[in-house]
Amino acid sequence: MKALVSRRGEGRSALQRADELGKRAEYLAFMLGTEAYAIQIGNIVEILKPLPITEVPRADPEVVGVMSVRGRLVTVVDLKRRFRLTRSFTMDKKSRILLVDAADELIGLLVDEVLQVYRLAESEVEPPQVLGTEQPPHVVGIGRPAGGAVLLLLDLAPLFLD
Amino acid sequence: MAENVGGGGGRGESAGDKAREEFFSEAQEIVDGLSRDLLALDDVCRRGGSDAELVNDVFRAVHTLKGLSGLFGAAMMSGLSHELENLLDDLRLGRIELTSQVLDLLFQSVELYGRILAAAKGDAPEPAPEVKALLAALGQVAQQKGGGGGSVVAQYELDPGLLGVLTEYEEHRLRTNLQAGLSLYRMRVQFQLATIDSALDDLKAKTRPHGEIITFLPTGEGGDAESVELEILVASRANLGVLRGAVAGPNISVEEVRRRDGASNPLASIPPPPLDDRSRERDQTDPYGGVSMSPPTTSGGDALLDEINAAGAGATRTSAPPPAPSFPPGPGGQLGTFPPGGIPGMPVPGIAAGGAGAAAQGASGGSGATQRELTLRSVTQTVRVDIRKLDHLMNIVGELAIVRGVVARLSERVRLDPDLKEIAPDLHRLHRSFDRHLAQMQNGILEVRMVPLGQVFDKLARIVRQISREHDKQVNLVITGAETEIDKLIVEELSDPLMHMIRNAIDHGIEDKDERMRVGKPAVGTIALNAFQKGNHVVLEIEDDGKGMDPKVILAAALRRGLVTESEAREMSDKEVLTLVFQPGFTTRDDVTALSGRGVGMDIVKTNISKLGGVVDISSEVGIGTKMTITLPITLAIISVLMLEVAGRTFCMPLASVEEAIVFDDAMIKTFEGREVMTQRGATLPIARLAKLFQLEGWRPGVWINESAPTPKPPEVRPGRKAKSYCVVATVADRRVGFIVDRLVGQQDIVIKALGKSLKKARGLAGATELGDQRVGLVLDAAALINEVLASSTEGRIAGALEGPRSPKTGIDPRDARSDGGMS
Amino acid sequence: MRAILEDPASAAAMGAVEVTEAQSGFDAMRLLPRARYDLIITDINMPDVNGLELIHFIRKSEQYRTTPLVIISTQATERDVERGRKLGADAYVPKPFAPELMRETCARLLGTARPVSDG
Repeated sequence: MKALVSRRGEGRSALQRADELGKRAEYLAFMLGTEAYAIQIGNIVEILKPLPITEVPRADPEVVGVMSVRGRLVTVVDLKRRFRLTRSFTMDKKSRILLVDAADELIGLLVDEVLQVYRLAESEVEPPQVLGTEQPPHVVGIGRPAGGAVLLLLDLAPLFLD
Repeated sequence: MAENVGGGGGRGESAGDKAREEFFSEAQEIVDGLSRDLLALDDVCRRGGSDAELVNDVFRAVHTLKGLSGLFGAAMMSGLSHELENLLDDLRLGRIELTSQVLDLLFQSVELYGRILAAAKGDAPEPAPEVKALLAALGQVAQQKGGGGGSVVAQYELDPGLLGVLTEYEEHRLRTNLQAGLSLYRMRVQFQLATIDSALDDLKAKTRPHGEIITFLPTGEGGDAESVELEILVASRANLGVLRGAVAGPNISVEEVRRRDGASNPLASIPPPPLDDRSRERDQTDPYGGVSMSPPTTSGGDALLDEINAAGAGATRTSAPPPAPSFPPGPGGQLGTFPPGGIPGMPVPGIAAGGAGAAAQGASGGSGATQRELTLRSVTQTVRVDIRKLDHLMNIVGELAIVRGVVARLSERVRLDPDLKEIAPDLHRLHRSFDRHLAQMQNGILEVRMVPLGQVFDKLARIVRQISREHDKQVNLVITGAETEIDKLIVEELSDPLMHMIRNAIDHGIEDKDERMRVGKPAVGTIALNAFQKGNHVVLEIEDDGKGMDPKVILAAALRRGLVTESEAREMSDKEVLTLVFQPGFTTRDDVTALSGRGVGMDIVKTNISKLGGVVDISSEVGIGTKMTITLPITLAIISVLMLEVAGRTFCMPLASVEEAIVFDDAMIKTFEGREVMTQRGATLPIARLAKLFQLEGWRPGVWINESAPTPKPPEVRPGRKAKSYCVVATVADRRVGFIVDRLVGQQDIVIKALGKSLKKARGLAGATELGDQRVGLVLDAAALINEVLASSTEGRIAGALEGPRSPKTGIDPRDARSDGGMS
Repeated sequence: MRAILEDPASAAAMGAVEVTEAQSGFDAMRLLPRARYDLIITDINMPDVNGLELIHFIRKSEQYRTTPLVIISTQATERDVERGRKLGADAYVPKPFAPELMRETCARLLGTARPVSDG
């Protein structure tokens, strides 16, 4: 069957609501000092080897400095300092910077080593309360993938809200 | 170097956010257009005219807003649009009249759209009560709806069948035109189906200067598989001969539709009124409704057309229309929208042969339509670009600049290598060419960022109208230089300060009518808004012919508010006194007026302008008027800086703030009330050691490099000699501070980028830039640093005494880094 | 519109549909003789030839004298829709409309309506 539809051509582009991106349960695990952490992979734009980082006077103590990633300015934050795991700042051959998109800016998270990607089933995630009742808001659970690893799962949003 | 995480490219911004953002910008754009159309409509109405096409534009804009807001669940906007659409529908169908009351409501709705959008973005509360009030007012207007006009249409010898297929709108237009005394003509035109688009555009373009096309009707006669005959009803002020001449063609006949009583139309033989000087471009092509019907055009359109027709197709190429950069000249002249190959699968009579006759037909089909075509093009050929995308392009240019540096070094090495002598000239040429193209690209991108100031001026015109009505002061806004272009980001930030200055001019400057009459000024006040380019800057002047600013009054107010002391006051020149209005907390009024006294003072204006790297000046004469002059950089993206080094770290000082740099010696310093100053050309210059200000301890490049880059060493200082240092004298407005640095590296043009939110605590920094060797250089915020240094003169002394030697609280403690041995 | 009519749900109601879109009344007039359309859907307010005129034209033509014809309205007034009916339109679907309503109307006019259980 053929149908003819005749109507005023609406000149404007039709804006369409995009479908919500399906949530992934894939986590990237990394080391901070002696502990393993993980964040949802969807948060990570890129993993970089450290580029030259320029220190910024008057910045917060956990800020390593700024670097330029293909022309975009990135503030590099030392996660260990952010979590007060150490006062010192180290970078070596295993150091990586996780580029994440946080509240209107690109932030680089300096971590000691990147481990691997884990796909976690719901049954492999424990609530943060198992660590005690008072957990900081950025700790969202404990991941226990097959193979025996124990990962502290992080939510980045609370870290960069202020 | 970079490892991409397998496919997980989820950049925080979801597609939904993006669509929403696009909705905002699209809605804002429509509202801006709406505002412009209303201003034009207001203008036409004040001249006692009307413009059906403008009313239609407004109607369509609101209709689109309704659709958009519905799609995005913006209930308030959707509700408002719905009611407005009804009102506008009544308006365009002639059920209600366009009174100034209705116009006021329309202007109010534009205002509310703006506020609703701001609210949706989270910038302000939703204007719920205002919308409610407006909806009520709209409802009242709707009740005043009258029926259509009389049965003037019935007096004409029109086929009832034809009348039966007119839409309500067309019928209304017909009635309005006839009531205004225009004549009615019937054209019969035979169109080839294949060429109907261009032929029709051509006919419309030819007819428009003379009148309004009411409707098109297929006659069902004389057509075959490849052609169709249309009857076109035209209302015109021109007489039959003129119209026939205008549309003449082989398959066109024109006749007048007679009135049943046989009387000739009363106005048909009266010569047209002088051409209305409305500045709208559409003027020449669009029909007027009602009494201000457009007379035969004086534009070159028809004359040009005749010339082309006489000269044949060849002339078309040389008499090209005004520039439309990417409008390709079609074969055989401008063919308008007609695709060269015709419609696929359709026979292409005439044109395909490419003979002289066909070409001439094509040419006439195009050139007349081209006028209109161009205006259409200018709309459809623009794209909306997120300014961040331009920033991204600029970043890539920055990267290419780095490549250029590498190529330059390489070229130099090759030149010095005897073995490579042969290729050296080639490489050099290549480098030069690369250099040139890169510069062109940079300029090109900067050009794209430029927008005409008219964007913000339109908004101001609306404000002036509103405020002068609120305040019962008649004000004429005279705008010049609306086409002056400036960086988009600057335009965005300009509207608030300008709005405030205009409000001030009306509220404090322009006297009320009686007062103006008394002092012998015209009753209508004038505010002139002038913009022009001056070198790398844009100058904006806001000038009023009001009562001017009296230095005595200002000084008295400043004394009352304790902004100056009696002794300071005695020393001040009149010009200095005027600048007191920029002091925080300054006002000459004790009561807060509904207009300017709402807490946002001239100090905010000044701060906002200086954030953009601009300055504001005032000149005023009592009884004559006041002129504010704003000088702004054309673009924010590229600035010239002085590169300098402090304790091994590189910083950039915007050259615009640098007065001079001098070799500095500690012996030049005097301590005055605990702070360091030096004497420069007989004046006292406060100085600040940048290393101390930023607490930079020990010599360090301040750049963390992981790979085994050679660690730079501090410059050697010969024993017995002191390291040289420099004093960079920076000024902002009339405040000066000398900053002590270790080394001047040189001057450079840089692309400045904003620091991220997480660095907002790092005061004194305006941004950062890439230095070319992958390193990032920080750009100093001269204004902030100067203010900090001067403001801390008192607090600093006390704090310094209490705290004693400070340990670095911020930044990375170098000792930590060393102790861990982490820097390999 | 194309999405609605070419949707599988439509195929269930009235068989597979091939949709051609015209951008104006003229466009429609040009397209009509070039194929045999089983259904015509038109707006009222269109550039150039308006919907009422199009209906008038369609009903005068041998080929399409009885073809089912639906008015959809964007900005059309009641009076115009009423005129459309008088000129020979079979149905009117006001905008905004639910896809189901559109499909139902078309299927009814085409005489292909069947109970849902059939689909």
